[in-house]
Amino acid sequence: GPAHGRHCHREQGSGSGSGSGSGSGSGRPQPPDPSLLRFLVCPLSKRPLRYEEATNELINEELGIAYPIIDGIPNMVPEAARMTHKKPPAEGSEQP
Amino acid sequence: CRCRALLSRPAGRLRARRDLAAGPDMHFGFQTVTEEERRKKIYQVFESVAKKYDVMNDSMTLGIHRLWKDILMHKMNPSPGTLLLDVAGGTGDIAFRFINYVSSVRERQLQRKLKHHQNLSWQEIFESYQKDKFNSLGDSQVVVCDINREMLKVGKQKAQHLGYSEGLSWVLGNAEELPFDNDKFDVCTIAFGIRNVTRIDLALQEAYRVLKPGGRFLCLEFSHVSNPLLSRLYDLYSFQVIPVLGEVIAGDWKSYQYLVESIRRFPPQEELKAMLEDAGFFKVDYENLNFGIVAIHSGFKL
Repeated sequence: GPAHGRHCHREQGSGSGSGSGSGSGSGRPQPPDPSLLRFLVCPLSKRPLRYEEATNELINEELGIAYPIIDGIPNMVPEAARMTHKKPPAEGSEQP
Repeated sequence: CRCRALLSRPAGRLRARRDLAAGPDMHFGFQTVTEEERRKKIYQVFESVAKKYDVMNDSMTLGIHRLWKDILMHKMNPSPGTLLLDVAGGTGDIAFRFINYVSSVRERQLQRKLKHHQNLSWQEIFESYQKDKFNSLGDSQVVVCDINREMLKVGKQKAQHLGYSEGLSWVLGNAEELPFDNDKFDVCTIAFGIRNVTRIDLALQEAYRVLKPGGRFLCLEFSHVSNPLLSRLYDLYSFQVIPVLGEVIAGDWKSYQYLVESIRRFPPQEELKAMLEDAGFFKVDYENLNFGIVAIHSGFKL
């Protein structure tokens, strides 16, 4: 179904946080508010995150997951996160 | 989908434990649904009403919701430098009021400072004013957290439109699972949002967790009217007028039917007070507005 497609689609290089998933994304990825990075943690483990500029994501190295930033808004729900041991979308790898 | 299954693995253990505790049946207004269905339906309600949310609030409450939110802000009485987390803050009503409030407090602070500098030269006064001008909020900050993308979008657009930028940030997150570190915020508010949370106990625990010691939790929400005559009139208005307004203004009867029902299902004042206490809050109290149509609950983290 469409929901299924959306999840897999993100793995296949759907964009570096440019909001293409929501269909209304701007051309360039918007970074998050720098002051936010002081407070933000992974909602699951409550552990610190690393901002990855290349993919415009917030990465939890320990759990190996990345939260996207869409239209400048960090998407801090587990449903939105992707696994980082797969190749990041910017490198355009194929995932089944 | 394999990636979906893999993704659920790290969270799986945590989720399974919680879902068992929650039980299978929940209410969505007056319907009985599973927890998962309820979350989905509520998400869809707000996705649907987001663009008309403010207009509907004005129509349904005859603009009185603005007063309720003003009262909440006055009760909070934030001083410059306050860090506020507004949960389920969607379209930004509380956030904007917070910014206005600390700005005016800050302005008065600066004016008082200037008054004391009577023997300075104009140059020195000008320089001191310039220095403080770049800190018009006095380092106050508000983070708006909401689970619904559409509501956040509307909020962000409103902020741009009204000229709010400094001291304001937006996060998509779940009140039951906040993406914020412990002991970070001075105040945590949830205005007309907690009614839509599926696990209120978790939301309260999370609010407690992210507050600094000495921090305050404020909840503004529809509550229960005990006066029988008023209660009858309120019911009439709620069930006869509001869904019709919903249909006429937003083209969405069902969402507003849900709204009215969810208000009736929500715990009354004393019960919510007990829930706050269960979450660990101290000095828990509530204030009825308009005979209990709305109540502000307050609690502190020690």
